[in-house]
Amino acid sequence: MTESGAQLFARLEARRCLEDIETRLFPGDGGPEHGEVVELYGSEGTGKTELLYHLLSRCVLPLGAGGLEVDVVFVDTDYSLDMLRLVSILDSRLNAARSFSSSGSDEEVLGSCLSRLLVVHCSSSSQLLLTLHFLETTLSSRPGIALLLIDSISAFYWLDRSEGGTSISKQEEKLSKCAELLGRLLRDYRITVFATCHAIRRNYSGPSSFSSSSSSSSDIDRPYLCRPWKRLVTHRLLCSRQETTNMAAPAAGSSEQKSQQVFTVHCTSSSSSKTKSYRSSSFCVTDSGVEFI
Amino acid sequence: MVVLREGMCPGLDADLLRDLRAADIKTVEDVVSSDIEELAQRCSVSYKALFAIRRVLLAQHAAFPVSGADLYEELLSSTAIISTGSPSLDKLLDSGVYTGEITELSGGPGSGKSQVCFSVAVHVSLHLKQSVIFIDTTGGLSASRLLQMLRAETSDTEEQMEALQRIHVFRLFNIFSLLDCLFTLRSGRLQQACVGGGSVKAVIVDSVSAVISPLLGGKQNEGMSLMIQVAGVLKTMAKDFNVAALVTNHVTRSESGGVKPGLGVSWSHIPRTRVLLERREGGADSSLRSATLIKSSRQPCHIKAEFDLQSWSRSKEGSSGKRKLEETDS
Repeated sequence: MTESGAQLFARLEARRCLEDIETRLFPGDGGPEHGEVVELYGSEGTGKTELLYHLLSRCVLPLGAGGLEVDVVFVDTDYSLDMLRLVSILDSRLNAARSFSSSGSDEEVLGSCLSRLLVVHCSSSSQLLLTLHFLETTLSSRPGIALLLIDSISAFYWLDRSEGGTSISKQEEKLSKCAELLGRLLRDYRITVFATCHAIRRNYSGPSSFSSSSSSSSDIDRPYLCRPWKRLVTHRLLCSRQETTNMAAPAAGSSEQKSQQVFTVHCTSSSSSKTKSYRSSSFCVTDSGVEFI
Repeated sequence: MVVLREGMCPGLDADLLRDLRAADIKTVEDVVSSDIEELAQRCSVSYKALFAIRRVLLAQHAAFPVSGADLYEELLSSTAIISTGSPSLDKLLDSGVYTGEITELSGGPGSGKSQVCFSVAVHVSLHLKQSVIFIDTTGGLSASRLLQMLRAETSDTEEQMEALQRIHVFRLFNIFSLLDCLFTLRSGRLQQACVGGGSVKAVIVDSVSAVISPLLGGKQNEGMSLMIQVAGVLKTMAKDFNVAALVTNHVTRSESGGVKPGLGVSWSHIPRTRVLLERREGGADSSLRSATLIKSSRQPCHIKAEFDLQSWSRSKEGSSGKRKLEETDS
């Protein structure tokens, strides 16, 4: 396939590395490097989406406001992107930064943040595959893109399962193809991928994550997507929610009148060069997004 | 899966299609993910022509990236917030039901799910003068209750009738007719459905669990797949036509002893806002209901509100509480 000089340059020029995207989340010095995949896994209401918005706003915010100023592609398969929520997070972060330094008008800065974000909506796994192919041209023409977000990679799981009939390989064909293509895009364009995965398979013998208070090692946490995808994932963030019992409420010890919902993320990193490493962190969700505690 | 057909794009004629089929290339995905150079040799067609076909097919079938800034602009101009008719419930939902997303009401029998749906329908048709699609899967829609709610809002008979005209009711009792109905609505009927002027602002499915829950359970995937299809068409419809999708769900007992919405973990990711409705303790005939926000991206979760079902039948002009109507259908 022919490639223009500009395309070659865009492909080979180093994209912004996202190793420092959120140092409080990943173990040691090991943030996601070029070409790595991070999976955010958890059941409903465990803060996956909020965490995703946190990382997204970190990427698109200008350098002056503590951002990385890189372009992001958001593949929305769940139709779940809440733009109003994202804007309110961006707004509050911009406001917090403005107290230190003065920059352009609010609307302009926000507009430039949002224009760093590209959104695609997909409604089937074959459309996802075609869209990923289509995005290749976008990636090659915009060297600023450093991050690809997929929310969620498990959206078409049941549809594919049913469409594929009785053969497992047929059921997993689409997602395998997507994973293979993603693997190639990661190698060729050196981007980073963050994908959410819903815990949608419940093991009937084990207790659900809703009832078990802090144990997160039940069967619901086991990955269930196809092998090519599992091979891609280098960092796995396991999201869970701590039950709000009355005694656990005063975490900071200050005069908080409301008990705040605390979310826990357990990160397992297994980069090719390093051995497995772990880190747990907790955060709570406020109006201005995720705050680590 | 999109099967290749003759004339789908310029250059894709019957001969080429036959050659492609012979090379086991049957769908658009096959063309796009195959190695064009190798394929050109196998089908003895020029690389350039095949490359052009691939590009056109991709542009036709892939989703197009939209800039976040444009999306936000569009959202600001098109999002509407629909009042539920109850001030406390509106406050709980951050001023009402938002268009472009799925809102779920769950609760046991008699917890007021349908009543909230009726009230939303009445509000859209009477105050906003827009149309409502009301899909009734339980046979629980009572026209007289709708009229009663309308009478409480206005005394003008003409206005009441016009409002009733704008509520389009579909009575469906299985998942296939529900899917059929939703797909027809999405493919353009939604815009034609509005008779008395104004566009459709809300699609209400009362209840979604009545048609889905019989399919779940066991080790089969078909039920799950159908459920996700219903969710998918509701989500795309809400987004593309900017309507509010309001669904109701039943409740089951959770392991810890409380109640939780039904339909399992796969469904739990679908609605963006979830409200749990409960009957207030004290007196079986009490019309007080409590609502708990259990999922929201705008408000802190687990906040509670109380509302009175009878407030929807009381006339606003008259002194409140004077005309107490007997309720039989809540």
